Amino acid sequence: MAGILFALPSILGLMLFVMLPMLASLLLSFTDYRIVNTPKFIGLANYIRLFDGTDPYFYNSLWVTLKYVILRVPLGLVFSFMAAFLLNMQFIRGKSVFRTIFYLPSIVPAVASSMIWLWLFSPDLGLFNSFLEALNLPTLNWLYSEQTVVPSIVLMSLWGMGSTIIIFLAGLQGVPRSLYEAATVDGAGALRKFQHITIPMMTPIIFFNLIMGSIGAFQVFTEALIMTQGGPNNASLFYNYYIYRQAFQFGEMGQASAIAWILFIIILLVTVIFFRTSKSWVFYESEV
Amino acid sequence: MNKAKRVAGVVLSSVLTISLLLTGCSDSGGGPEAQGGKNGQKEPVTLKFSFWGDTIEKKTVTEALERFEQETGIQVEPMHVPADYLTKMTTMVAGNVAPDLGYLSSGAALSWGRDGKLLNLTPFMENDPDFKKEDYLDQIWYEIEPGNIIGMSTAVEGYGLMYNKDLLLEAGVELPPTDANKAWDWDTFVEYAKKLTLDDQGRNALDPNFNPDKIRQFGLQYDPYNMMAAVVSNGGNFLTEDGTGFGLARPEAIEAIQKLADLMYVHHVSPTPLQTKNMPDTALQTKKVAMTVSGNWALQAFAEQDFNLGVGVLPKLKESNTLLDGAPTVIFKSTKHPEEAWLLYKYMTDPESVLPLIEGGLWMPLKKEWYTNPELINKWAAGNKAHPEGYTEAFMKQTIENGFRTPGFEVKNLDKINALVTPALDLVWTGKQKAEEALKGVEPKVLPLIEGYYGR
Repeated sequence: MAGILFALPSILGLMLFVMLPMLASLLLSFTDYRIVNTPKFIGLANYIRLFDGTDPYFYNSLWVTLKYVILRVPLGLVFSFMAAFLLNMQFIRGKSVFRTIFYLPSIVPAVASSMIWLWLFSPDLGLFNSFLEALNLPTLNWLYSEQTVVPSIVLMSLWGMGSTIIIFLAGLQGVPRSLYEAATVDGAGALRKFQHITIPMMTPIIFFNLIMGSIGAFQVFTEALIMTQGGPNNASLFYNYYIYRQAFQFGEMGQASAIAWILFIIILLVTVIFFRTSKSWVFYESEV
Repeated sequence: MNKAKRVAGVVLSSVLTISLLLTGCSDSGGGPEAQGGKNGQKEPVTLKFSFWGDTIEKKTVTEALERFEQETGIQVEPMHVPADYLTKMTTMVAGNVAPDLGYLSSGAALSWGRDGKLLNLTPFMENDPDFKKEDYLDQIWYEIEPGNIIGMSTAVEGYGLMYNKDLLLEAGVELPPTDANKAWDWDTFVEYAKKLTLDDQGRNALDPNFNPDKIRQFGLQYDPYNMMAAVVSNGGNFLTEDGTGFGLARPEAIEAIQKLADLMYVHHVSPTPLQTKNMPDTALQTKKVAMTVSGNWALQAFAEQDFNLGVGVLPKLKESNTLLDGAPTVIFKSTKHPEEAWLLYKYMTDPESVLPLIEGGLWMPLKKEWYTNPELINKWAAGNKAHPEGYTEAFMKQTIENGFRTPGFEVKNLDKINALVTPALDLVWTGKQKAEEALKGVEPKVLPLIEGYYGR
């Protein structure tokens, strides 16, 4: 009972600042509410408008976001797992320095890092193109071309994967050493140990990062706001930026709520699917 | 027994927490009552004025507000919002805590005005013996419908041609005229721009060996945002005259827009949007660019750079004109002190109150007299670095006589239309499509959004 008491502030906070606004936005999504007027109930009109194609940006932003998620989630997992694996190696010196370096970008505010990457991506003066030029490779337009804008933002996002790496690292350190020792005795090489001990023991962590990574990726926003404003030609009109624009630039709060709820449902579905399939590949030690 | 005690404890502390929360709320709830001032005893009025702008603007506006405070005894709380202004305003309006008055972007101002969130200033102007609407420029008003004026532009912002005089003299190019009657026609303009565009070997764009891939100095920088000047100069407009058709898809507009795109992709005298991203703000000073088309505000930055700045009128297609940009200052209807807000409004629209911004080159004054009375002109438009020789003719006179307002002043639903038009035009500015193809292509989507003009 006392436990509840201690949790009360955060429960109240959750109720007041999360549940209540969510409920409000659900109700508003069935209204015509442009901030300045009192909300008028219009049933499913906001949703129909999106799905029947009257709104010219809905499918476009869904597609753009999906592209981002598909690129970003697997790449992010592989990259951060590899980074964590290297940082966990016995023979690497100055590990704590490297660990700090990998985590550092995560504490840089997104706005500041976007500015930095804006310079790196700059087509004429940027570091990346100078590098490509030095190697006599063709240069890219990075953020300024419809084809490369999403991959560029994915590339940038890998830079800030510090917290995922930390979680992987913690997981790696939690794998019982005795398992590796036993495998060594049985004559297993590094690769087999990785394949048959590390990976299976890490599946719960991979699963967790998969879920969190997907949820995060669906909500990509700051990059579009700071770096591209959805351009060029709406090629980076991410779903959340689209919500923002609808809500705060056009003032269409009712419609923005409907758009937001669709994203909520999409994320919910994706998560449920992941959970369903997880049974076949996620391995919990305690269940043995 | 023990359990009952614990339950009692939980209930008690919950009650405590909740009552704490409630008292927290009731604190602010007491506000309006206290302000009532029952015995005719006037509480000091406090107005909240919200605005954006760089450091100089922040300083000048804040000082102006302080002077107003001293002169009238009305307290003013400045609210400077440097970024994400509209988001902040939207949130404040939605939360019923809007400021009393302040800047607002034109799109939001017009649509909020239409929805009755902003005060109609007409009655104030009519009932105030100290105020004459005719004293102000004709182009600066934001009028929802006849008789419902929600504000005037915070400042006048005319466009013109600005250039690095040394580069033009070096290349032997005639200096751009400041007299509208002598404005360069398009071909002359392109010819000169070519002379001023140099590749890495120093050959200009008229040279048959000119290498457009290695341009060291561009003749001209033209922000596509300013394209309306060219469109109007060619007899076109954003919407058709009757407000029912998409003007940009008409031949006059298409021709003008294509001519601007050709500056980049046919004549190679102007940087593409991509190349522009790499242009420093000091492009004129550092000789990356010889001429630029920009608004009056650019003069403030140019005045701080060390180069020989010159100004002229824009080149013309058919008619010589200039574009006037702006964003209104408005009074929110939720204000509890409309009379005082109007006093402050009037104060802030007086050029005298914000003289440093006008003299510094950021703004042009709102009052006609400042364009006609030599004594007042001398206060701002002459004899300082931000207003080089020729300014009075090329900017001032041109603004008064041939100043044409951006669609932002009067086109309904513009933000949503632009959400479609801007990506379509991106294709033109990046050289992927011809103006005709892009604009005709987007026209069917634009038409259902067209709602005509405000104030007509």
